[in-house]
Amino acid sequence: MNIYVRLVYRNLRANLDKASLFFELVFPLFFIFVQGPAIGGTGLQLDLGGKIVGYAEYLATGAVTLTVINGGTNAGTQLWFDRKNGMFEQLLMGPFTRAQYILSIILATLIIGVVGSLLVFAFAFPVVGAGIAFTLRGQLLIAAALFLGTVFFGSFAITLSVALRSSETFQVVSTFAFFIFLFTSSVFFPTGSAPLAIQIVSLGNPLTYTTDIFRAGIFDALTPLVSLELLVLGLEAVVMFVLAVVAFRRIRV
Amino acid sequence: MTEDGPAVLVDQLSRSFGDKVAVDRVSFAIDRGEVFGFLGPNGAGKTTTIKMLTTLLPPSSGKATILGHDLATEGRSIRPRIGVVQQQDSFDQGLTVETSMDIYGLIWDVPKAERRRRIEELIDRFGMQEFRKTPTIDLSAGQRRRLQVAREFIHDMDLFFLDEPTVGLDPIVRRSVLDYLKERVKGGLTIFFTTHVLEEAEYLCDRIAVINQGRIVEIDTPENLKRRFGSAKEVEFKLLQGTSKEMAAALATLDGVTHQAQDEGSGVYRVTTSSPESVIPGIYRLAERLNLTVSSIYIAETTLEDAFINLVTDAKHAESNAGEA
Ligand SMILES: Nc1ncnc2c1ncn2[C@@H]1O[C@H](COP(=O)(O)OP(=O)(O)OP(=O)(O)O)[C@@H](O)[C@H]1O
Ligand SMILES: [Mg+2]
Repeated sequence: MNIYVRLVYRNLRANLDKASLFFELVFPLFFIFVQGPAIGGTGLQLDLGGKIVGYAEYLATGAVTLTVINGGTNAGTQLWFDRKNGMFEQLLMGPFTRAQYILSIILATLIIGVVGSLLVFAFAFPVVGAGIAFTLRGQLLIAAALFLGTVFFGSFAITLSVALRSSETFQVVSTFAFFIFLFTSSVFFPTGSAPLAIQIVSLGNPLTYTTDIFRAGIFDALTPLVSLELLVLGLEAVVMFVLAVVAFRRIRV
Repeated sequence: MTEDGPAVLVDQLSRSFGDKVAVDRVSFAIDRGEVFGFLGPNGAGKTTTIKMLTTLLPPSSGKATILGHDLATEGRSIRPRIGVVQQQDSFDQGLTVETSMDIYGLIWDVPKAERRRRIEELIDRFGMQEFRKTPTIDLSAGQRRRLQVAREFIHDMDLFFLDEPTVGLDPIVRRSVLDYLKERVKGGLTIFFTTHVLEEAEYLCDRIAVINQGRIVEIDTPENLKRRFGSAKEVEFKLLQGTSKEMAAALATLDGVTHQAQDEGSGVYRVTTSSPESVIPGIYRLAERLNLTVSSIYIAETTLEDAFINLVTDAKHAESNAGEA
């Protein structure tokens, strides 16, 4: 059996943090079924590059990308568990390379992130349903958003988990970062109409791009900006991945 | 794999952490099928040496060949042929004992049927029936240690590094683990073993290296270490008549006695000597001459611990003398 298949299977079986996984899947449902319809009930509608969608639909798609960032955190937890339990060193003395091990964590995270998003999406479907446009182009955009978003947030979590050795600091800092990413992104509101400071921060925020690209894919609402956003997200994901690898190589044994 | 040549060949291997020299130019060779003990006080550099030889930690300088492969460049060929029980715990927290062994075998690419067979054997040999379905996170420290040693036998290996594997094991399990290791050595396994329990080292090891402050002080068989560095032996005896002044005076004249004392309360005489075989008949002769009867006599054997303490404290003396000079 392929070495990555074996390692990824092990990561999923041994290190899946079931409590946070539950939180990850349930948390977005509040946005889809509570906040979205409630605010949507006021008649609020938003313009996605020429396509008008209701707020409930808008937020439901945002809730899916919220799962991406949540799923990414799992990469940090996996590595953190392995270091705490002495499995990190054990695996590095096994028939693997460091590169194979870190890639297996990213791959496991991709599975968690993408499968999680699709599950949440299945719930969001009745809400978003009417507006969905199934096109090949749209599906490629959805795939790209989920993939690049998970790679970014997975790598980010790995870097944090290497930098912060204690479990408490890792939890606090990653939760804090989670809220920063969340509230300066286009998950809840279109950043274009937010105060200038938030607009500026949101321009660097990969969650903005993940969400925008995902929405563009779902509603097939393509603006000229989308390809630029794709480029920026791709770059951010690559840079973060390299950072994670560098951090990872520096782990003291 | 290269079948000939030693299992481990280490040449002037060193490792520093900043200014601290943890391992200082150590050299040794381990034959295939040998059990090599690595003894030394806390902080001597045992774990650091193991981390280097298992490719976890790059050496600062020096060379090593493991199973015929160069440590510096062929880590990928070395790792599939070795097993390691680290000094620290290592376990998959989300799994039960049985599943964790199975998944460990899986990542080592052991076929499923073989995994099943080995798990049953190991659970039996390491006495883990009772907790085979227990999540590893709920195990006691000794149970977890047992699992950690057993788990390594799921995969094939030619060379096994064990860093204080018996810490926390009860005496019965400890003995059965050591016996299992011995059995596997008969099957061709080479073992690199560290422990602070010297009887254990003596029981298991063909040769022992004593390391202190990063440097190897001695390498020899346990027997030779005891003979060369063990203290003089102590002969203890009692007289039917209790203590006697004449006896004490006479003992002082006996050849080979370096020190003697008697305990008025218990009536025990203690005689320190390096040649008990000539001193014991001497004691009987003296007793006869003084019309006394020896009611009990025995020799306290030198232990490896004795030799170890002498070696390590002597090395410290040598070090501080060198420092003063
Ligand atoms: N990562 C590290 N950074 C700095 N110093 C280290 C590091 N690892 C080990 N040392 C130092 O190197 C020396 C040797 O440590 P090592 O763990 O090899 O000792 P040991 O012989 O295994 O001791 P013990 O019997 O306590 O396990 C110690 O002085 C230790 O403080
Ligand atoms: Mg140690």
